[in-house]
Amino acid sequence: MVHIFNYKNNYYIYDVGSGSLHECDENTAKYLLAQQGEKVDISTITEEEIKEIEEGVAALKKEGLYEKEEISAYPMKSGDVKALCLHICHDCNLRCRYCFADEGAYHAQREFMSEQTAKRAIDFLIENSGNRKILEADFFGGEPLMCLKTIKNVVAYAREREKQTGKKFLFTTTTNALLLNDEAIEFFNAEMENVVLSLDGRKEVHDAIRKTVNGKGSFDLVINNVKKFVQSRGDKSYYVRGTFTSKNLDFSNDVIFLAENGFDSISMEPVVTPIEDLAIKEEHLSSICNEYENLCEKYLDKYKKGEGFNFFHFNIDLEGGPCLSKRVSACGAGNEYFSVTPNGDIYPCHQFAGEEKFLMGNVYEGKINADIRKQFATSCLFTRKKCDGCFAKFICSGGCSANNYHYTGDIETPYEITCEMMKKRAEIAMHILAEKKRIKK
Amino acid sequence: MIKTIAKPAERKITACGECRSTCQSACKTSCTVGNQSCERITREERPDKETK
Repeated sequence: MVHIFNYKNNYYIYDVGSGSLHECDENTAKYLLAQQGEKVDISTITEEEIKEIEEGVAALKKEGLYEKEEISAYPMKSGDVKALCLHICHDCNLRCRYCFADEGAYHAQREFMSEQTAKRAIDFLIENSGNRKILEADFFGGEPLMCLKTIKNVVAYAREREKQTGKKFLFTTTTNALLLNDEAIEFFNAEMENVVLSLDGRKEVHDAIRKTVNGKGSFDLVINNVKKFVQSRGDKSYYVRGTFTSKNLDFSNDVIFLAENGFDSISMEPVVTPIEDLAIKEEHLSSICNEYENLCEKYLDKYKKGEGFNFFHFNIDLEGGPCLSKRVSACGAGNEYFSVTPNGDIYPCHQFAGEEKFLMGNVYEGKINADIRKQFATSCLFTRKKCDGCFAKFICSGGCSANNYHYTGDIETPYEITCEMMKKRAEIAMHILAEKKRIKK
Repeated sequence: MIKTIAKPAERKITACGECRSTCQSACKTSCTVGNQSCERITREERPDKETK
């Protein structure tokens, strides 16, 4: 499959099978679209031009960069567990309206994971990791910094287990930064491979949703903590991660606000919520796609001025990107990646936590429900039939299983609104890749 | 006129499993494989590449 698209009068050819990207002129794009059966007027294209286009296509085909046969099956998947999301607490010190986790409680009682259970989860991961050397655990909530002492003790325990087993743990914490004090900053910088800090952007946007228990906006309580942390972070990974809702469809302003506040690693995600006045709906798609274009312009302006920043969804690495195994299997939820709730229950990922239908076992039992695991292990890009004809399938891997399930009732059926946003971001990411190469020249 | 912008590098190793889970990269809601790099290639062949 070849995807030919026009972005702001730049014409691109993305070959899905090879994962290569090419640029061309308007007539070439028109001619190739006509060859694909699109109704395009090619009456002005000369015979000489057609000859040149066909020679160019033939040369690409010879290199395996045009209409390369797409892989439709892949030998997978290992039965080894790679990563756990540890719900170190089901409680939170904020009450964000859009929280998928029921403001931290996950539709159950507010509770904390005991140190014993967290250590047992670490052992469970090691025991089920086979020959994998690198293992991952992320501390998630609720708000993990409400349990800093437990996290410190669990990390120390994992480091001891590394010495005994030869495994290597990479840790991540997701935090709202309310309790991000000097002690936490020092610990994170020493031990966390990645830290995700929730901040929605402009004060009024953030405060409208991310409120304290007393109902007040939390922006002023967290912004300096996040800045202090990022300034201390050096070269280590972090993401300042915002959420946009239908209330701030001008979210490019929030991304730029974050960039101008000194954050150079940013993600901004569409909200996942059933709440009527916040949810992203089909009627918002056009505005959102336009806003991604606005963000692209602002992003490139900053790049040209030497003020570039990393925006997660505009990253695309077509030269050294993920291997096919990863592109096909995506996040590995329910097979190589699980979440563990405070009482040790195992779910396919954090977004399934608390859903009885997806309860897969408990770390104290040490077993994983084979039927549910098989459902996830056999689910991959190739079982998501709606993705067959999509140019972005090897970029998005068929979407997030949880997102698919919560919107369509089936982990195999992608949610079309998410697909449309994804496709728009993929085209922009390709344009940015091309623009950066042009600028560097 | 067609000009190649990017094409995948030849791979010596695939499916090594040494990269971080997609879900732990940035956002935990819509982290996307295609927004990541192969961490092994980045580490071994492009150590100067920004990995944040």
